[in-house]
Amino acid sequence: MIHMTVLAAFIPYNTLVVAAGVAAVGCAAGVIGTFGVLRKRALVGDAAAHATLVGVASALLLTGQRDLAVLLVGGLISAMVAIALLVLIRKFTRTRDDAAIAIVLSVSFGIGITLISGMVSRGIPGSGGLERFLLGHTASLTAHDATLLGAVSAISVLCVVVGLKEATMVAFDPDFATAAGWPAATIDFVLVALVAVMVVVGLPAAGAVLVTALVVIPPAVARQWTERIVPMLVIAGVVGLISALSGVMISSLAVQLPTGPIVVLVATSFLIFSVFLAPCRGIVWRTRSTCVFPSDSYDENNTETTADTVTERKS
Amino acid sequence: MIALIADSGITLWFDRVGPLHGWAIATAVAVSACCAVVGTLLVVRRMSLLGDAISHAVLPGLVVAVLLGAQPGGVGVLLGATVAAMSTIWFTRFLFRHAGLWEDASVGVAFTTLFAAGVLLITVSGSRVDLDPGCVLYGILELVPFDTVSLYGWDIPRAFVSALSVLVLVILGVWCTWRWQVFTAFDTDAAKAAGIPVGGVTFGLLVGVSLATVTGFVAVGAILVVAMLVVPAAAAERLVHRLHHAIWLAVLLAAVGAVGGYLLAWRFSTSAAGMMAVVLGIEYFVAILFAPDDGVAARLVSKVVYLWRVRCEDRLASLWRAEESKQLVQEGGFAGLVTSWLCVSGQLRKEKNIFVLTPRGRMDAELIVRSHRLWETWLGKHVDLPVDHLHPPAEWIEHHLGEQVRKRIEDELGNKDIDPHGSMIPREKR
Repeated sequence: MIHMTVLAAFIPYNTLVVAAGVAAVGCAAGVIGTFGVLRKRALVGDAAAHATLVGVASALLLTGQRDLAVLLVGGLISAMVAIALLVLIRKFTRTRDDAAIAIVLSVSFGIGITLISGMVSRGIPGSGGLERFLLGHTASLTAHDATLLGAVSAISVLCVVVGLKEATMVAFDPDFATAAGWPAATIDFVLVALVAVMVVVGLPAAGAVLVTALVVIPPAVARQWTERIVPMLVIAGVVGLISALSGVMISSLAVQLPTGPIVVLVATSFLIFSVFLAPCRGIVWRTRSTCVFPSDSYDENNTETTADTVTERKS
Repeated sequence: MIALIADSGITLWFDRVGPLHGWAIATAVAVSACCAVVGTLLVVRRMSLLGDAISHAVLPGLVVAVLLGAQPGGVGVLLGATVAAMSTIWFTRFLFRHAGLWEDASVGVAFTTLFAAGVLLITVSGSRVDLDPGCVLYGILELVPFDTVSLYGWDIPRAFVSALSVLVLVILGVWCTWRWQVFTAFDTDAAKAAGIPVGGVTFGLLVGVSLATVTGFVAVGAILVVAMLVVPAAAAERLVHRLHHAIWLAVLLAAVGAVGGYLLAWRFSTSAAGMMAVVLGIEYFVAILFAPDDGVAARLVSKVVYLWRVRCEDRLASLWRAEESKQLVQEGGFAGLVTSWLCVSGQLRKEKNIFVLTPRGRMDAELIVRSHRLWETWLGKHVDLPVDHLHPPAEWIEHHLGEQVRKRIEDELGNKDIDPHGSMIPREKR
């Protein structure tokens, strides 16, 4: 086991590219997840993540190709379908939102499991490897796959950077954005689509069950340290990057170790650390200092200030 | 009823599928019934996501209990899982209160963390735990019949025994606290004011959820338990309106889902747990489509019926007005769909290529025109609108005024019989 690890450390190119690609995914997921969390879409992303399994399995079944890009495109389509279903359930039935999320999540996961285990029992080539999309297994990624993941992440982050002002506006106050004459619905759709993209490219790193953590936990950590959107994006990106990277590193130590759980636990330890120790907000400081922090109404305050600054900049 | 379904499932399929499948089906039905009972309460209390969180979070509790030497399917495992579930709820609240996170984000953080911890524990402890990550995700229902205990000379699967005892426990618990549960579910504040221990009721419900989840976990895995908790309950909630009816219906739907899912999975040789979730999803889809009063189909039908009625009434009224002003109706031989229907229903008659109102049709048309003109007069008297703005609102409301409202308006107007446009308001003829 140990000499395997040493050996792995001396195959630089592939390992390096995979690590870089997954780190890019973690960083992008943190940045985009910030908007998802601010927009209260943490669990919508979770439903989409569980639904990706259907698309991944159907892509393999329909095309017969094991190419990661093909599988991920399938996953993206089914994730978007899941989000559309959530919107439809909200619009046309009286099922409450929380129940709707639980329904879409569990039923689509059931369809995915049915497809995969049906394919495995029929011996369809390549179907055995689909299980790595459940909990994430970066060890099986090739340099080519990792380049793809990195490129998609970079493009997604670029989208957010280009549309930072618009995204911030819609994330904090969609009604105000609409009133100010911005295409709030379109921007909102793009943000949701980006969350779905992140959930899909996160699949190889964290797996369908845990990938939502990549999108939720880094923003939660960043929330502890800052009140402003740009530092929050940066911190979330860095935390996501470090978590993903440590996931890749630690899971490469043992063959059967899945990446997803490690990524999640590293990110959560960042969160716990921050909840206790972040300046002003941290529990340790709050009990003993006079640092004024409007913790009860930070939501409204934040909305107002951001809305004001954005409109000032715009005008 | 559950026993009956399980029983008929066994006897029907016994010859073809054999006792092993029978036991697996019986276990699946018992587990789904547990989940449906507590799930219904969870759904009406808008706590579905907590069910989601608990189902993921029982994993580390389960693993730790097994590592400490508890029997799989025994009391120790149930205890460990319940403790883990409670700690998720505590963790969620902690993040919500102290980390300034929104509720959904707190749930997301809490359950992914605990699930990750569970998976990692399983992987690290290797062969010491009799669980593999795959079974955690989609259960081992197919293997349930092989792990048996001997009771009075019968070899009964351990999972079935624990599912049945949890079912009895859950039903007893819900039955004993029924009034409190209902009161808390529909108005927590009033319940609190009435002296009901709301916290205790919620705690009891969550214990029930974690018990149901941990029994379901072994059979169908962590995520598909969510389907069993939420989907039948959400479907039943659309179909009936009393909570106790909803619980029974949810149990029935869950049992149908379990039996149907298992048999379909066996037919297509795929995962039973996955197929059960699929069947439950289909049930929910059918429920939201065909729910009697607010289903998608029912609302569509009532909308179409309404639009049709409006078209018919408008046609009758326009014919009546034409008759009143002694005009000939323009359209001659061509009978539209609306006109033909009015002929069939006996409100119109065809005379020499012209449609005329029958006595019944005339009476109906008069009522509509009467509503229309009464409303115009009322608007003219009470609302400061120009005369040419009175028509559109009246055109809409004429289809909605009943006899009593017309009477009230007439009384209020002081038996005026000329509307603001100078036309006569027809009298009520009954």
